[in-house]
Amino acid sequence: MNYLIRNGSIIDPARRVATVGDVLVVDGKVERVIDMAEMGVDPGPLPEGTEIIHAGGCVVAPGFTDLYAELGEPGHEQRETIATGMRAAVQGGFTMVCAMPNTNPVLDSAAVAHQVTALAQREGQGHVALIGAVTQGREGKILTEMIELAEAGCVAFSDAGRTILDAGVMRNALAYAAALDLPIMSHCEDARLGLNWVMHEGAVSMRLGLPGLPAAAEEIIIARDIALAEDTRAHLHICQVSTAAGVALIRAAKERGVRVTAEVSPHHLALSDTWVLGSLAPQPNPPPTPQPTPRGKGKSRRNSAPELGLPSWLDPTLLPPYDSSTRIRPPLRSEQDIEALIIGLNDGTIDAIASGHTPRTRVEKECEYGAAAPGISSLETALGLVLTLVHRGEMDLVNTVARLTEGPAQVMGRSPATLRPGSRADIVIFDPDRMWTVERSQLVSLGKNTPLQGQQLKGQVMLTMVSGQVAFRRGEFGMYGRGGPQSSKIAGIFGDVT
Amino acid sequence: MNNRKQILTADEMRRALVRIAHEIDERNGGLQDVILVGIPRRGVPLAERIAATIADFEGIQLPVGQLDITLYRDDLRRRGMAEVGKTSIQHDLTGKVVVLVDDVLYTGRTVRAALDAIADLGRPDCIQLAVLIDRGHRELPIRADFVGKNVPTSRSEHVMVHLREIDAEDEVLIERTKAEQ
Amino acid sequence: MIDLDALQAEEIEEILVTTDSMKEVLSREIKQVPALRGRTVVNMFFEESTRTRISFELAARALSANIVNFTARGSSVEKGESLIDTVRTLQALGADMVVIRHSQSGAPYLVAQHFHGSVINAGDGRHAHPSQALLDLFTIRERLGQLCDLKVVIVGDILHSRVARSDIWGLTRMGAQVTLCAPPTLLGPSHYWLATWPNIQISHHLDTALEGADVVMALRIQKERMQGGLLPSLREYSRHYGLTPERLARLGQHTLIMHPGPMNEGVEISPEAATAPNSVIEAQVTNGVAVRMALLYRLGG
Repeated sequence: MNYLIRNGSIIDPARRVATVGDVLVVDGKVERVIDMAEMGVDPGPLPEGTEIIHAGGCVVAPGFTDLYAELGEPGHEQRETIATGMRAAVQGGFTMVCAMPNTNPVLDSAAVAHQVTALAQREGQGHVALIGAVTQGREGKILTEMIELAEAGCVAFSDAGRTILDAGVMRNALAYAAALDLPIMSHCEDARLGLNWVMHEGAVSMRLGLPGLPAAAEEIIIARDIALAEDTRAHLHICQVSTAAGVALIRAAKERGVRVTAEVSPHHLALSDTWVLGSLAPQPNPPPTPQPTPRGKGKSRRNSAPELGLPSWLDPTLLPPYDSSTRIRPPLRSEQDIEALIIGLNDGTIDAIASGHTPRTRVEKECEYGAAAPGISSLETALGLVLTLVHRGEMDLVNTVARLTEGPAQVMGRSPATLRPGSRADIVIFDPDRMWTVERSQLVSLGKNTPLQGQQLKGQVMLTMVSGQVAFRRGEFGMYGRGGPQSSKIAGIFGDVT
Repeated sequence: MNNRKQILTADEMRRALVRIAHEIDERNGGLQDVILVGIPRRGVPLAERIAATIADFEGIQLPVGQLDITLYRDDLRRRGMAEVGKTSIQHDLTGKVVVLVDDVLYTGRTVRAALDAIADLGRPDCIQLAVLIDRGHRELPIRADFVGKNVPTSRSEHVMVHLREIDAEDEVLIERTKAEQ
Repeated sequence: MIDLDALQAEEIEEILVTTDSMKEVLSREIKQVPALRGRTVVNMFFEESTRTRISFELAARALSANIVNFTARGSSVEKGESLIDTVRTLQALGADMVVIRHSQSGAPYLVAQHFHGSVINAGDGRHAHPSQALLDLFTIRERLGQLCDLKVVIVGDILHSRVARSDIWGLTRMGAQVTLCAPPTLLGPSHYWLATWPNIQISHHLDTALEGADVVMALRIQKERMQGGLLPSLREYSRHYGLTPERLARLGQHTLIMHPGPMNEGVEISPEAATAPNSVIEAQVTNGVAVRMALLYRLGG
């Protein structure tokens, strides 16, 4: 099946392209991108059996790459399976997902890697990339057979959600990974600073009487790992950075040339620890209209992209207090941290937005806050949540798409996801203005654990194409032309691109 | 407010209370061991006025107490939580003659609750009941010993006793609800 | 009734007035009224607390409610039955009200989401202990006649104390000046407290904090805090943060001494201070029953 995606607003960060135009997909590859300048020109006859997808008013972009998701298999099939996880992924616009190794058994041997690869090929709708464990059993003591894991297809190493507390072990792991030229994805948390912690240590944890994890617990591990990466010349990737000081450390390290990259999750970008207060939180005020500020020292402030629509905001008071859906590792941090994360994302300190998809079962979540398993099921809400920030004017759309495509691809050291002719046709089409309400029961992921239940998000994936085949389509999207010109609001964003 | 009608003026109220005071005196010759117990809110000032009247003509100051019956009501579940008032009776009731004083006698449920409450506080020799208005419609086998005025009413009417201690003036009104008009 | 943060000053005032009436009931020969006859209250204790449980039990009986004790050791997860399951079961059995004590902060909110009747928090984790705070308010007002503008010093393991948090809510709502005093490890960063309660004072020096105090409230020090490395020694704690006989002498007669119990005599409070004429520790226990009657009555009526 061949496709002609018509009249979309094409954003292809890897080629620095943002334009309105058509994308022709033939035999699973991008055949041609016809931009506005050529619109008048007759593209010539379309290949036999080409379906036209009308994408007016929507953004057409390379499929998203997710650096952090738990797909459950093997061993946690009650949380998620590769089949359900990848269905959730393509619904969320992700065509490539890095599967975290905290499975059971742990993905710490080539045998498990082969098993997951086979499963993914049989059941997965998108591309699954394997992350191997750094230490055996994720126990932080003995290194895995990293060379063999690399040969079995692992693209990076991580102990997923656990910190290797022994700096000596971490140094050895980085040295090994450097030789393989693969990144170590480090979860940064010194839990000795927060005994039995369940949330961020701050005013909210103090008020609620919940054991907190101070921001310093993340910072000291990031600092340590940066020192070790500098020493071993390895590629260090910081998973799910959540603190302002963490962002500052990464920025400083990048400036002096350390090979460090970082990711942030949509929930750490958009939700603060006040979400644990739930209905005890003050009613949110509509955010003020962002004031256009002169361009200059871009690092020192949040981006001020032109607004795409009405301000949109999220309301933590829809949740009851202590709702276990807000329990996550690393914890939701403070407003100041969120500010720093957004700045870091805008200035390139943070390379990628990773879903941090951690599905959990009802049994694991329907209990006391302290007894609940940390995690948020986030593949399907990721885009809507980050676009909320775009609509608020805190991030710009092109950069946001870059952090979901080119950024993570570069972290993985793979050729960037792009719409360059000849590349594999992994494509997402999303409507940045479409309002929708998150309904837990309608998530296709087995993990229904989301704190966003009932929240209105703006921006939704309409169609996802994997290797030139439609893997997800919302309703009858694209089958009928809308006629008339597309949203001028979208065209407005292209002013920023040079 | 033409659906309100005055049924007792201040002067009539004063005379009714004087009469009740005399009747209490007559019934309990010598007023030995008599204690007046008002039921909040308006039974309390009424009990005090009766005591003052008796003090005037007999020279005896009867003890006056107040008895809150909220915790004894049988309609808590139906009507929800009501504010609990104060109970303050300085004397042991055992062996005494207790004269309960209230403003309006209607279904009798308040008096029933008061009888229960008194039973928990002691064992008086005798309990009597004095009310300013008896409006009928009893739901329990209860009758007043001393009545200021009998007022035939319908259930949809509302009897309001105003006392200067609480409402700034003395009068009794009867109000027809809108449905009746 | 999960915490005092949900109550305005007027509502707290109403509860204190009701408590007064309940106290009168408890002073009678027959300490029972029929207000909650036929109502079933379940004491759900997931954490051992004989005092609070008995206090609620006496309160429920004084109001003629049926009271059932449900005691589970350890967390519900260890037991294999979830808290929600337990609550649904009690509901099906006909419970009208649940009194819950739990080691996890926030557990009463979870119960309230799944239980149709009233839920009273009898202490959850480090979060809240509203009935204790109300009895503290009642006792202070009973002795000193007011709450507004009083200087109240809370000293001890504030970081881990649900009593402290509920007392801060209640006292500040009623206009009292609250000073928290603890070693830094048992308090945490001051600005985290001030973010929620901007008008409280924070001190690490008890003698300074006690100047001009109308009330001093000592909190229990749990021995396991030593193992956690939060305290170097009980001896040092006792000298610097305990209500010693010397401090007692300096306090003067007008300063109320309070303790939510159970006490570690010789650690946070000396036996002399606990039994001093200005100690109201026993009155706190007595008033506890009346306060809990007021709560049960207001929620169960």
